[in-house]
Amino acid sequence: MSFLGSIARHRESLAAWTMVAPALLVTLVFALYPVLDSFWLSLHHIFVGIPSLGRSFIGLENYFNLLHDPVAHQALLVTLAFVVLSTMLELACGLVIALVIHERFRGRGLVRAAILIPWAIPTVVASQLWRYIFNDQYGFANLVLFGDRVTEYIPWLAYPGVAFMIIVLADVWKTSCFAALLILAGLQVISDDLYDAAKVDGAGAWQRFWHITLPLLKPALLLALLFRTMDAFRVFDLVFVMTQGGPGDATQVLQFYGYQTLFTEGRLGYGSAVSVAVFLMILSLSLIYLRAIGSNLLERRRT
Amino acid sequence: MLLILLTFCGPVSDVPAQPSTDRTAASSHPVILRFVSWKPDHQRVWDEAIAGFTKTHPHISVVRELAPHSSTAYHDLLTQKLKNRDTTVDVFFMDVIWVPEFAAAGWARPLDGRFSPTMREEFLPATVAVGRYGEHVYGVPSRIDAGLLYYRQDLLTKYSFTAPATWEELIHQAERIVAGEQSGNPTLRGYSAPFKQYEGLVCHMLEFIAGHGGSLLTPDGTTSTLATPEALAAVQFVRDRVIGRLASRAALTYQEPESLSVFLQGHAVFHRNWPYAWELATNQTRSTIAGKVGVASLPGFAAGEHAATLGGWLYGISAYSQHPDEAWALIEFLSSQATQKKFAQEAGIAPSRQALFSDPDLLATMPQLSNHFAVLQSATARPRSPVYPAISHLLQRYFSRVLAIDGIDLAQEAAITDAHIDRLLALTRTAP
Repeated sequence: MSFLGSIARHRESLAAWTMVAPALLVTLVFALYPVLDSFWLSLHHIFVGIPSLGRSFIGLENYFNLLHDPVAHQALLVTLAFVVLSTMLELACGLVIALVIHERFRGRGLVRAAILIPWAIPTVVASQLWRYIFNDQYGFANLVLFGDRVTEYIPWLAYPGVAFMIIVLADVWKTSCFAALLILAGLQVISDDLYDAAKVDGAGAWQRFWHITLPLLKPALLLALLFRTMDAFRVFDLVFVMTQGGPGDATQVLQFYGYQTLFTEGRLGYGSAVSVAVFLMILSLSLIYLRAIGSNLLERRRT
Repeated sequence: MLLILLTFCGPVSDVPAQPSTDRTAASSHPVILRFVSWKPDHQRVWDEAIAGFTKTHPHISVVRELAPHSSTAYHDLLTQKLKNRDTTVDVFFMDVIWVPEFAAAGWARPLDGRFSPTMREEFLPATVAVGRYGEHVYGVPSRIDAGLLYYRQDLLTKYSFTAPATWEELIHQAERIVAGEQSGNPTLRGYSAPFKQYEGLVCHMLEFIAGHGGSLLTPDGTTSTLATPEALAAVQFVRDRVIGRLASRAALTYQEPESLSVFLQGHAVFHRNWPYAWELATNQTRSTIAGKVGVASLPGFAAGEHAATLGGWLYGISAYSQHPDEAWALIEFLSSQATQKKFAQEAGIAPSRQALFSDPDLLATMPQLSNHFAVLQSATARPRSPVYPAISHLLQRYFSRVLAIDGIDLAQEAAITDAHIDRLLALTRTAP
């Protein structure tokens, strides 16, 4: 019996592998290979403009240089500030939006759909929109604030700090609804019985939110945080369209720096090192988040 | 009849098969030439020029791939194709700053045999010089550019000024005019120019630095010279007297098109741009100040010491092209006397052929050409290096930082940038 059983099991696992194979192959070719190739490139010194330098293997030298590169330091600081600010704001806005569209009211379906519009707009288009809004001459922001007093119009994007905040604002506007969607899903799995029981116990609306909604929403919030952090780390289009990293490197983010070194300067090795560094940072952050989410789910199961 | 196929950033799948009557069995094989170009300001003029080519070369059809108007975006798209040894690129434009990179990387085909010394003599020497790298010549000059000062002729006349020779004079004139026009035109500013963090910033800052007797590199091209007193003083001048004073602080967000539009809408007395802006500024449909514009050399810091950055575009043939003969035929046609004249007359593009600067027809519509001739002859080139894109990023960063960030230490930033550029330059020298 064990013999037949093992054949059957063997067949089953063979079938399983056959079915998984296409997905596995796609992942290997399109995800793992580029990552490994980038890593391999990052260990070389390659300057497209000077082919006579060849492809010399230099080990981790690009990474050491990266640690001492003031532009990379600036880009890392800007990227981290962007990630922290934008994800915090997106989560806060997303929570508010989710709570609103979770309520029952007339036209809720319409509002839920409308909320997603910013997310549906391609980032490049949204970036152009925001660039126009903060234009110094015909921008909407100036029109609203100053109306006809054209001499008071402010060139928003010409101030380093303001330009950075505008990039954050554009990202928050665009992706809060995505966070809201994830949080809404979290809200929907919270049983109404809990609220009813709390009401019987005399809990007010604020207490119900604080002691029921928020703790039970934690997995959804963490998931939204994970997605948004990973995305925010990869910010590129907003900077590319709106500021090109300026003024004075105030919006220089890591991905844009990587793009500049790779595509404009043709420093394939160094540019790859920048990309791999970003990849490693995102990877370690996601591992931390995933652990947090995992332990959180376990706790819930125990209770 | 042949059709010209215009594509927008993408290959074409079908090319019209035309059983035309004038094609005999003896004629050459049909060839599709791919010309990667930026998006031109005057689409129609280019369409007509290429239609003219295909009429005289019926076996060649020209497919144009249009990249964005921005030089850097065009560079990134084109070099991406060339890095991949893409055979679907035959003819392309090279910015004057790219020739060393394209030559060293082996992307551009040497044209020594085709672009003969006698042919070269017909072009402005400066434009032929930028097409050379090492022993070979890689580009045929399409158009030459140098920074020029555009100004409001009507306003200068009203306040009885003539075009300023120095920046001090320009500031003085601008202050008087802006103060005098305050009531009628409250948004009028003295100056409009591109100061955004991008390639154009390097072009314009070089004009201030060279106009002050400074430079970006030592003459032998081995050392960066931003921290020299001349260069520092020029940058200090822009930072203290131009940004937020002579020009709106908004100039820190302007590339060429935005700064030009400020001028065309009548919001600036003076404006820095390339020769092509003349056609747009005098064009009734695009400009609110048509007929009120003058153009001159950019001012200097002492009378007669002005400097203009050399710009412009060259035609090149890809090293991976499978139709170099047909590609050369297209380049010959587009850079011919007749085609350049058409571009000058209808698109305001400054020619690269010497003879056209004394062409009576052209001088009648573009009287400023004779002045351009002198400016173009003495224009200052940006550093010539295969790693120029990397040098430029460091320069853009430096200029933008010291202009945009209040209280930043200018001398320190200059020294840091010098050190970085020196490291890059050393790299090119150690190359075996």
